[in-house]
Amino acid sequence: MPDAERTRRKPTFNTLAREEAFRNPPKNGSTYNILNEFVLPHLESFNALFDDSGLPSGDGDGRGLISLGLEDIGERVVFDGDGKVDNRGWGNRMRIWIESANIARPMVPDKDKHSTTRKVFPSEARERLTSYRAPRNAQGLRTCSYHEPEEFGGYFVINGNERLIRYLILPRRNHVISLIRPTFANRGPSYTQYAVQIRCVRPDQTAVTNSLHYLSNGSAMLRFSWRKQEYVIPIMLVLKALFGASDKEIFEGVMMQDYENTFLTDRVELLLRSFKMFTLSTGEQCLEYLGDKFRVVLGTPEDWTNHAVGAWLIQKLILVHLNSPRDKYRMLLFMLRKLYSVVSGSCCADNPDSPQHQEVLLPGSLYGMIIKERLEETLNQIRNTITIDVRNGVTVDFNDKKYFQKVLSKVNFDIGSKLSNFLATGNLVSPTGLDLQQAAGFTIVAEKLNWQRYISHFRCIHRGAFFAELKTTTVRKLLPEAWGFLCPVHTPDGSPCGLLNHLSRTCRIVTSPLTVAHIPAILAAHGMSQTTTQSIDGRKNYCVQLDGRVIGWARPAIATQLAMNLRIWKTEGINEIPLDLEIGLVPESKGGQYPGLFLFSTRARMMRPVKYLANGRDDQHNPTNFLSILANLTPFSDFNQSPRNIYQCQMGKQTMGTPSTALQHRTDNKLYRLQTGQTPVVRPALHNTYAMDSFPNGTNAIVAVISYTGYDMEDAMILNKSAHERGFAYGTVYKSQIIDLKDVPGASKSATPTLHFGLGRDIQRNGEKAHSCVEFIDADGLPFIGTKLTSGDPIAAYIDDTTGKTRFVKYKGDEMGLVDQVRLLGSDAGDSELQKLHITLRITRSPVIGDKFSSRHGQKGVCSQKWPAVDMPFSESGMQPDVIINPHAFPSRMTIGMLVESMAGKAGAMHGLAQDATPFKFTEEDTAIEYFGEQLLAAGYNYYGNEPMYSGITGQEFAADIYIGVVYYQRLRHMVLDKFQVRTTGPVDPVTRQPVKGRKRAGGIRFGEMERDALIAHGTSFLLQDRLMNCSDYSTAWVCRTCGSLISLGYEDISLGEVAMGASSSLRPSGPGGEYCRVCRAAAEAQDERERQALAAGKAAPPLPQADVKVAISSQHVLGRASKGGDLDVVAIPYVFRYLCAELASMGIAVSLAVT
Amino acid sequence: MSSQQPQSGNPPQGGRYGTTGFVPPKEAMDYNCADCGATNEIKSREPIRCRECGHRIMYKKRTKRMVQFEAR
Repeated sequence: MPDAERTRRKPTFNTLAREEAFRNPPKNGSTYNILNEFVLPHLESFNALFDDSGLPSGDGDGRGLISLGLEDIGERVVFDGDGKVDNRGWGNRMRIWIESANIARPMVPDKDKHSTTRKVFPSEARERLTSYRAPRNAQGLRTCSYHEPEEFGGYFVINGNERLIRYLILPRRNHVISLIRPTFANRGPSYTQYAVQIRCVRPDQTAVTNSLHYLSNGSAMLRFSWRKQEYVIPIMLVLKALFGASDKEIFEGVMMQDYENTFLTDRVELLLRSFKMFTLSTGEQCLEYLGDKFRVVLGTPEDWTNHAVGAWLIQKLILVHLNSPRDKYRMLLFMLRKLYSVVSGSCCADNPDSPQHQEVLLPGSLYGMIIKERLEETLNQIRNTITIDVRNGVTVDFNDKKYFQKVLSKVNFDIGSKLSNFLATGNLVSPTGLDLQQAAGFTIVAEKLNWQRYISHFRCIHRGAFFAELKTTTVRKLLPEAWGFLCPVHTPDGSPCGLLNHLSRTCRIVTSPLTVAHIPAILAAHGMSQTTTQSIDGRKNYCVQLDGRVIGWARPAIATQLAMNLRIWKTEGINEIPLDLEIGLVPESKGGQYPGLFLFSTRARMMRPVKYLANGRDDQHNPTNFLSILANLTPFSDFNQSPRNIYQCQMGKQTMGTPSTALQHRTDNKLYRLQTGQTPVVRPALHNTYAMDSFPNGTNAIVAVISYTGYDMEDAMILNKSAHERGFAYGTVYKSQIIDLKDVPGASKSATPTLHFGLGRDIQRNGEKAHSCVEFIDADGLPFIGTKLTSGDPIAAYIDDTTGKTRFVKYKGDEMGLVDQVRLLGSDAGDSELQKLHITLRITRSPVIGDKFSSRHGQKGVCSQKWPAVDMPFSESGMQPDVIINPHAFPSRMTIGMLVESMAGKAGAMHGLAQDATPFKFTEEDTAIEYFGEQLLAAGYNYYGNEPMYSGITGQEFAADIYIGVVYYQRLRHMVLDKFQVRTTGPVDPVTRQPVKGRKRAGGIRFGEMERDALIAHGTSFLLQDRLMNCSDYSTAWVCRTCGSLISLGYEDISLGEVAMGASSSLRPSGPGGEYCRVCRAAAEAQDERERQALAAGKAAPPLPQADVKVAISSQHVLGRASKGGDLDVVAIPYVFRYLCAELASMGIAVSLAVT
Repeated sequence: MSSQQPQSGNPPQGGRYGTTGFVPPKEAMDYNCADCGATNEIKSREPIRCRECGHRIMYKKRTKRMVQFEAR
C-alpha cells in the first residue's frame, strides 16, 4: 500500500505490551491518556466551579464560578421594624450575604478510629451502594476509582449507581438570533410573528433570555422572565432608562444614516411617537417608573428608592452579559435594527436548529447554577423568616445571638441533599427554571453494559426534552453545519433519532474563557471604526461584536480582512489571539443571514480541528475525525451503506462484552460478560487508541456465506455445534440481590437492630434431621459461595430477636444461578453490625437457539440451529465455518464492508497481521480487494476469498465456490432466555378471569382484534372458539329461559322439602339442584297482587318489565337443558360477559339471553 | 475489641431464649477485606470493619465444602 502512514504502522496485536500494561499498571496516570481527554469537558466544567486559575483579567476572580455566583446573589436586607410610620419606621437595617462556599472531600466520620486512611474512595461508595458525598454540606465531584486502570471520572456515584449529567444543546449565548414564529402573534393584540432573541449569560454561567417582539404598530417590546413569570416592557422605556438617551440619539442610533430607507424611518418615528403617551422624558423618570412597577415582584430591600429598583432590574435582567449601560444600549439598538431588517425581509430568520446558533450546557455549569440558586434560596429563607417574625410581632433583636440561632435552625442549609436528589432523579426543582426549557431528564445512568456503551454516555449530547415531543422533524435534521461537531452516524433510530447525538471524535468543548480583552484595540488598529465614532453608515458597515458586545463597525472589505487577519494570527499565534477564538464572518447576501463579524471567546462552544487554507495550518487533520468514537470503530465503514453503520453503532452498545476489568468489585444490577472475548483481526487504527483491546467485545468467527441448511433464511444463522462446545460466544450474566434487614418487614426502626443474619437455634444444623437450608446457607446466615440456587431456594437467613425464630430470604429468579460473591456491607463509620448484604449471582448463558448475534456491519441474525460439525460444509483444507449466514443478507443491504472484512480477516489470520480497517484509506486506484486479494493469494487462497467447499452430508463438492473468511462477531445481549413467553394455563385476572398479561407474571400473549379478524376471515371458527373462549375465560352459568337473566340465580335448600308459598301454587318449581330464577319467582309472587290492583283500577294488568338488551345464545352453548320442571338452563359463556351483565345491571340495564 | 452490646448487655428479649438464658454461641467466620485483602475473623453481631485498614466492606470466603455439579 502506498500510504506512508500505513507502512509505518506495525500490524501487530500488541499482545505483549498489553500484558505488561495489565500486569504493571502505571502508578500515576493511565495507560491510555485519550480516555481522560474525551471526558475533559465534564471534568473541567466541574473544576471551573471552584478553580478558575488561569482566567484572564476581567473574567472572574480566579476563585471559580461559585464565587462569581455569590457575588451576583449579593445581599439580602431585613429590618426589625414593619415600616409603618406610627411605629419607628423600618427600624434597624441588617444585611445578610454569603461570604464563601466550600466543597469538602468525602471522609470517614471522626467516630471511626480504626481506618488507616481518612479518605473515602468512590469505589467504596459504589460497592456499598451509597452516594459518594461529603458528610454535610457538599458533594464529591470528581471520582477516581483505583480498581479500574482506565478510570476517567466525570460522573457521580449515587446510591451505588454511576450517574452523569448529559450535555444539552442550548441557544448560543450572547448572540442575537432572529425568529419568525406564527405563535408569537398569539402573545397579545398587535403582536406579530417577528422577534429577535438573545440568551445572555452572566460570568457565573447563569442565563437570562431577552426577546424583542415586533408589534404591528412598528414598535417593539422587550420580554424577559423573572421567577418563571414573563414580563414585557416597551423597548423605548429601556433605551431611555439605560442612560437617558434623547429621542434624537435613539433615532440616529437606529437609522445609522440610512435616511432614504422609509421603512425604517416610519418604524422609528412610530416607535418614538408611541412612547409619548408615557410622558417620561428623562432616563431618571424611566428608571423610577420601572422601579415603581416592578418593586412588588423583585423583592429588593424595602428602603430602596424606585430609581434604585429600576436600575437593579436593568442590571440583573436585561442583557446581563454586559455591564455598562452604554454597551447594553448599543446592543439593544443592534437588536432593534436586526428586528426591523427581518420584518422588512432584507434578512432571513436564523435557524435555531443549526449548530452555528447553538452551544452546550456543560454539566459543571448546570451544577453551579443549581448550587447558586440553592444558596440564594437559603438567603431568601433567612430574610423571609425574619420578616414573618416582624410581621407576627415576635421580638426581633438583631443583637441577640440566640435569636439568630433560632432563625438559622428554621432554614434548610442542606444543599448537598438537594444536589444528590437532582443527580439521582435528573429533576430540576427550581423557582426560576434556570432559563432552561426542561425541568427533568438532565442526568442519566452510565450503564456498564460494555465498554462501548459506557464511553458513549460521556460523549452524548441531547437536543432537549422539549424537542422530543415536537411533531415536526426539522429539529432532527442532520445539517451540514454539524460536520465535525456531531457524528452523522452515531444516533439511535426510533424516537430519539437526531435528538440524541454524539460528539465527533475530535470535537472539543471550550471550558475556560479566553484572553480577549486586547482584541478590540487590535481590530481598531487594523481599520475597525470604534463604537464612539459618530455617524457610521449602517448600510455600508458591518457590526463587529465580541461575545455579544458591539465593539465597532467595519466596511465589508475591512471586515473580511479583519476576519482573515484574526484567523492567520490565531493559527500562527501572533498578537496573542487565542486559537479557540471563534470568528464568524457573515457576509452580506440579499435576504440571507444578517451580516456582521461575530467573535466568540466564551465557554461551552464546540470546537473542531480545521485546516485554514490561507496558510495551510491545521490541527491533526484526519478524514475520520467527523465520526464519533463508536462510528470510527466500524471496520471499512466507508464501504457500507450508511444506515448499516448507524445500526452497528446501536448494536455495538448492546453487545455482551467486557464491561469492566474489575468485575469482582462491581455491584451493578445486571452485568453481561463474554467469557472468550478476542481482539478483532480486522480493526481500525482507533481500536488501539481507545483501549478497545482491554475490553474485548466479540469473537473472530469463520463465516461462510452459503445457503446450506434451509435454517438460515430471514437473517437466521447457523452455529457450528462444535464451535459452541469449544466455548464460542459463551457468556455470563451477573445479577445482584441486595438484602437489607432494615427493609424487611418486622425490622425495628430504632438504632439497635432486632434482626441479625445467622442461623438460630431452631435450625438443626447437622445430623439426620438437618434443616434443608443448610445445603445453601452457612452458619453466618449467608449463602455458601458457589451454591447453586433455583427459584425458591433460601439465599440468606436471619434471626428475629423478638420471636427468636429464624427466617429466610428466598431467591426469586426463574433461572438457575450460582452464588458468585457475598459482600458484607458495613456502615459509614464502620461501627455497626451486618445489616446489609449484596449477593452477586452468576447465571450461565451459553448460546442457545434464539440468541442474537451480529457482525460489525449492522448484520444481525438469530441463531436458528446448532449444526453438528460432521454435517457442516468443509473446505479443501478441512476448515469448517463457525457460523453460516445466508447470501441473501447482502444484496439489499450492501454491506460491502463485511465482505472486505471477511477477506481481510482471512488474510490477517493466515499471515498473523492485525489488519488496518480504518475507513477512507483505499481509493479507486488502490482498492481494498486488490490489497487483500494479493495477501490471500500469498497465503495460498483464491484471490477473492472464495473457496471450493464440500457438503458435510454428501461429501460432494458444491457447484459454486463459497465465500468464507474471518469476521468479528458480537453476541448481543438480547437472549431468548430473557424473552421467551409461553403458557398453557396460569394466573388469571380476578375480575375477568382472562389470562393476565406480562412475561414476568407467567401471562399470555394477547390475541387481539386484528388476530381475531384474521381468523374470522379464514373461517377457522374452531380455532377462534378455542382461542377466545376455551383457552381464555370459559365459564358455565345458569340462565333463566323465561326472563333470560344471567344474574338471578337462586338456590333452594331442597333438603327442607318443597317451599310452601301461601295460597298460590302457580309458582314455577325449582330445578333438581334447587335452583330457580329469583326474578321470575318474585314476579310470580307479585302476580296476585298486581292482578288485584289492576282489577281495582279497572284496567288490564300492566305487562311485566322487559329486559333492555337481548342476546341470543345458540343451542351449542346450552350445556344442560332444564330437566324435571326447572326453568334454568346451563350455558357456556365467557366469564367477562357475566361481568358485563353485572356491571350493566348496576346501571339499571337488564340483559336477556334468548336461549333457543 | 471495644465492648459489644449483645454478649452481656442485651438482656434476652423474652420468648424461649429468655427462659434458657442462653444466647446462641457466636461462631467466628473468616472474611476477606475488600480493600486490603486481609482475613478478618468476625463473629455475628460484631461490626463490619477490617482490623487492618478499617475498611467497611467484607467478602465472604469461598466455601471449603465440596461443590459438585453435574456437568451436562
